[in-house]
Amino acid sequence: MSKHLYRLAPAVMLVLGLAAMYGSYELGLGELSAPGSGLWPFLVACLLTLTAVLLLFIDDPADYEPWTRSALGIVGGLAGLAVFIVLFEIIGFVVPAMLMLLFWLRLFAKEPWRLAVPLAVGGALLFYVLFEVALAVPFPDGILFAGTGR
Amino acid sequence: MGILDGIGQGFGVALDPTNLLYVFIGVLIGTVIGVLPGLGPTATIALLLPLTYSIEPVTAVILLAGIYYGSMYGGTITSVLLQLPGEAASVVTTFDGYQMAKQGRAGPALGIAAVGSFIGGTVAVIGLTLLAPPLADLAVEFGSQEYVALTALGILLVTYLGTRHPVKSLCMAALGLFLATVGQDDITGTTRFTFGQIALFDGFDFVAVAMGLFGVGEILYNVEKTEKAQAVKTKLKNIWPSRKDFRDSSGAIARGSVMGFFIGVLPGGGGVISSLASYATEKRRAKDPTRFGKGAIEGVAGPETANNASSTSAFIPLLTLGIPANVVLALIFGALLVQGITPGPQLISQEPEIFWGVIASMYIGNLMLLALNIPLVGVFVQLLRVRSGILAAFALMVTMAGVFSVNNDSFDMWVVLIFGVIGWLMKKTGFEPGPLVLAFVLGSILETNFRRSMLLSGGEFSTFFTRPMSGTIFALMALVILISVVSGIRKRRGRSRPATPGDEDLAAAGMTAEPEGSPGAESAAPVGGAVSTAPQDGTGSAPRDGTGASGSTAHGRGEGPDRG
Repeated sequence: MSKHLYRLAPAVMLVLGLAAMYGSYELGLGELSAPGSGLWPFLVACLLTLTAVLLLFIDDPADYEPWTRSALGIVGGLAGLAVFIVLFEIIGFVVPAMLMLLFWLRLFAKEPWRLAVPLAVGGALLFYVLFEVALAVPFPDGILFAGTGR
Repeated sequence: MGILDGIGQGFGVALDPTNLLYVFIGVLIGTVIGVLPGLGPTATIALLLPLTYSIEPVTAVILLAGIYYGSMYGGTITSVLLQLPGEAASVVTTFDGYQMAKQGRAGPALGIAAVGSFIGGTVAVIGLTLLAPPLADLAVEFGSQEYVALTALGILLVTYLGTRHPVKSLCMAALGLFLATVGQDDITGTTRFTFGQIALFDGFDFVAVAMGLFGVGEILYNVEKTEKAQAVKTKLKNIWPSRKDFRDSSGAIARGSVMGFFIGVLPGGGGVISSLASYATEKRRAKDPTRFGKGAIEGVAGPETANNASSTSAFIPLLTLGIPANVVLALIFGALLVQGITPGPQLISQEPEIFWGVIASMYIGNLMLLALNIPLVGVFVQLLRVRSGILAAFALMVTMAGVFSVNNDSFDMWVVLIFGVIGWLMKKTGFEPGPLVLAFVLGSILETNFRRSMLLSGGEFSTFFTRPMSGTIFALMALVILISVVSGIRKRRGRSRPATPGDEDLAAAGMTAEPEGSPGAESAAPVGGAVSTAPQDGTGSAPRDGTGASGSTAHGRGEGPDRG
């Protein structure tokens, strides 16, 4: 079974294509001489379905990269990014940015703490100055720096 | 308005201090990311899209164009010194450039590449100046059928020429076209596939899609393959090439300029294909082809010239027809759309300052690049010490802050994150995001013109084939599909021998044409392994190529639309 796991991607495309065909059909195809709003999506969905079916059979398994431990690291990094966005909404830019940078520098660049900490703090402050002060982007109010009054 | 008036006006725009600054920033960023493996021009341009909201349209295009052709210069540096193409169009440069570096001639290799790039870029800009206005005049005559044909051709060629796996790319293009239909239908006002979400009424936001798929997706993909930082030990001296070097490479530079120019104009063309075509041509023309792969200076000069020429001439279809020739141009197209400007035949007459300003900025940009590259190569090399993990962390931060700044809405950050995950998964499963984004950008143009053609012709499909222009284009498309299906089937029958010398060069490089604008780092390993075999393969195939068709299939195929 796992040998055929790679066929999952074309299968997802196929389901998407069929759903899109159905959705377009529901929108109304109209006539060729007076195309409805569903005609074009329908044609495109047909192409999507057709290529997906083809891929089910001819796709090259070598195209699919194995899932390794480093892929797990990426998932961790993504989770960190999601946490950053949540924190950003609550406590502003600077502190979450520092934490995010620190997390990524430790996780992916494997920088030692003595390098990672200054880089993260400096980077966060730099981006703060660049975006909030120089480009006047109204970040949510932070706990470290109050909003600049906008 | 005459060409001279136009150029005059263009320099007026380009020499404005702000624009001058942005040309400089553009080419500098371009060179830097060209040097850094792991971040290609596509990702960089995608990441910087939000910035273009806050500046004038012409300044935005000047900046993005600068990044694109600047990266062609930068990619050379790592190819020569480390056999590590910083950017996909420089892969062929590793064949001879790295050998030259090993022989202690890294300086002249980089020098001739910079000079060749400058000449190629300049020739292409002059060609652009001369060719674009008449082409735009011609395009005014185009009906919607021609637009359908041209757009479809563009998407098709990008899926066929720029990627490893045509069917997968076509599948992605179809998905892109479909995603473009989400939102309100312009003609009837019906909302499509929004599932009642008000946020989707205007469709998916191009900037968020592009930043996610290209920017975040590519960062994630590259960070997964953690690399060690590279230290360059090669001493650089005598960067300015000798008189003999110039004599040896003058022919290659001249041919590279012209070839690169014409390949760049074609849909699907661009730096990658033109550099491969130039290398194949130089090797075939050489009196002693065995020198190639052992440090022949023509093998550096030709491709480097060609990739710069083509990255400039790729602006012609965008600025005159409104058709982006490759993914990088699709991003620039999107940036203009965001600013409320639709590139097309009317651009020259309606927005002359954009058209001529961008062209003039390219003259200046190429001059700046030459001035930057010759003395500062040593400084750029030091950038290689930056580890890709650090780069990734900072690039992500810029992305997040940047996308927030577009609408000051943290919802967009989630959209980018989600598309980033999708982009990463696509890369891991061998689906290219490039065709998707290109098709997404072109989707509404294609649909509108398709429906208009249908209305005008009373529902006759034959309208696309009976008009001379669109008929020719569709015939060419049929030919492209036929050729690729036939060669695909032949390949599947277990023939290990590719059909043409061009393909062999590609195969030898461990890639069947890296998509335009992608960073070269991922293909570094196969190149390293195959580089010693490349020249032998190429020479072996030279006698078989008796037809005189230049270089590669990619080139031969691509030349069609121009003749037609």
